[in-house]
Formats: sequence, C-alpha cells, structure tokens
Amino acid sequence: MTNRLRVLRAERAWSQAELADRLKVSRQTVNAIETGKYDPSLPLAFAIARVFQQPIEEIFHPDGANHA
Amino acid sequence: MACSSSGKFPWNLLGWATLSALLAIGSGILRRTEAVPQSLAWLVAILPVAPMVGYFFGVERWMRQLDEMQRMIQLEALLIQFGVTAILVMGYGTLARAGAVPDLPISRSWHWLWFALFWSWLLGQGIVRRKYR
Repeated sequence: MTNRLRVLRAERAWSQAELADRLKVSRQTVNAIETGKYDPSLPLAFAIARVFQQPIEEIFHPDGANHA
Repeated sequence: MACSSSGKFPWNLLGWATLSALLAIGSGILRRTEAVPQSLAWLVAILPVAPMVGYFFGVERWMRQLDEMQRMIQLEALLIQFGVTAILVMGYGTLARAGAVPDLPISRSWHWLWFALFWSWLLGQGIVRRKYR
C-alpha cells in the first residue's frame, strides 16, 4: 500500500512529531507509515483521514493502483 | 481508537526488577546466616518472586498504552524472546543429558533463565525495530 502522508504533512508544514501528537501515536509510527514499512489499521487510517480532512482513498492506495 | 503515543521507557518495570534482585540478595544472606526460623524459610525464599507480580502487571499496563505499531513491535520481540530462550533451554538440557555440559539443578540455575529472557528480549527489540525504522 502506498500513501500520500508525507505530501499532505508537508503541505501543512507539520513535523512528524506534530502529526504523531494529533494522531496520538509515536513519531516512529508516523515515520513507518510514511516510508511504507507499516500499514495502519482501519481505525488509525480513519483518524489520519479525519486529521487531513480527506477521504481515506485520497490518502491510501493499494499497490499498483493508478492515482494522481 | 484506543492508542496513544508511547516509546517512553517503563521505569516502573526496572523498579520492580531491581526490587526483586535486592530481595533475592537479602533472601540469600538471611538463608546463609540462618537468621530466620525454619518454619519461615519458605517465606524468605519466595520474597523475590513477589515483585515479579507487579512487574508483569506493569508490562501488561505498558503494552496497553502503546500505539498499534509499538505494540506489534513488542509482540514480535516477545516472539523472538520466547524462541531464543526456548532453544537455549532445550539445547542446554539436551547437552546436559549427554554429559557435554554440567547438569544444573533448577534451584541453582533459574536466574540464568532471567538472564536469557532479558538478552533475548533486547535482541528481539533490535531486530524488530530495525525492520520498522
């Protein structure tokens, strides 16, 4: 699964630590999601979507999916 | 979502482990000096075990506070800890049966189990954390 977490975070000029605070997870978890080493659970993916005010499918994409 | 940030070292666990170690030393001294009546010897002997109850409740509480990825890291590290310790204990046991190493009675070798558990947990942490770095 790929995601646009890093881009969305950069657009808001948030640090990983700041995003981690908003999501109530550790900075390492944010980093692992951004680098694709960890796929979040559905509840965490919903929390991420809520923080960025975007639908989940705009943030997370299955591997090989065609997305902009 | 029941996750929170984490990663903070659980110092209370170190406290429980230290208390257990201190009680083990104290218990050993009391046993050697024969300062305790025989009827209470079992109580003195079991004293170091009592803080381990606090230790395991502490581990459980700490695990619940971790976020989902940190919890997964801990579970994977525990799996490595279990595997390594089981292999070590089984390996030593079979070697002892074959007479290749000294056959240690459990009463004199149980503390080595803690040693193996600690170092295999640390090894597990190193391996798993590298995977998600």
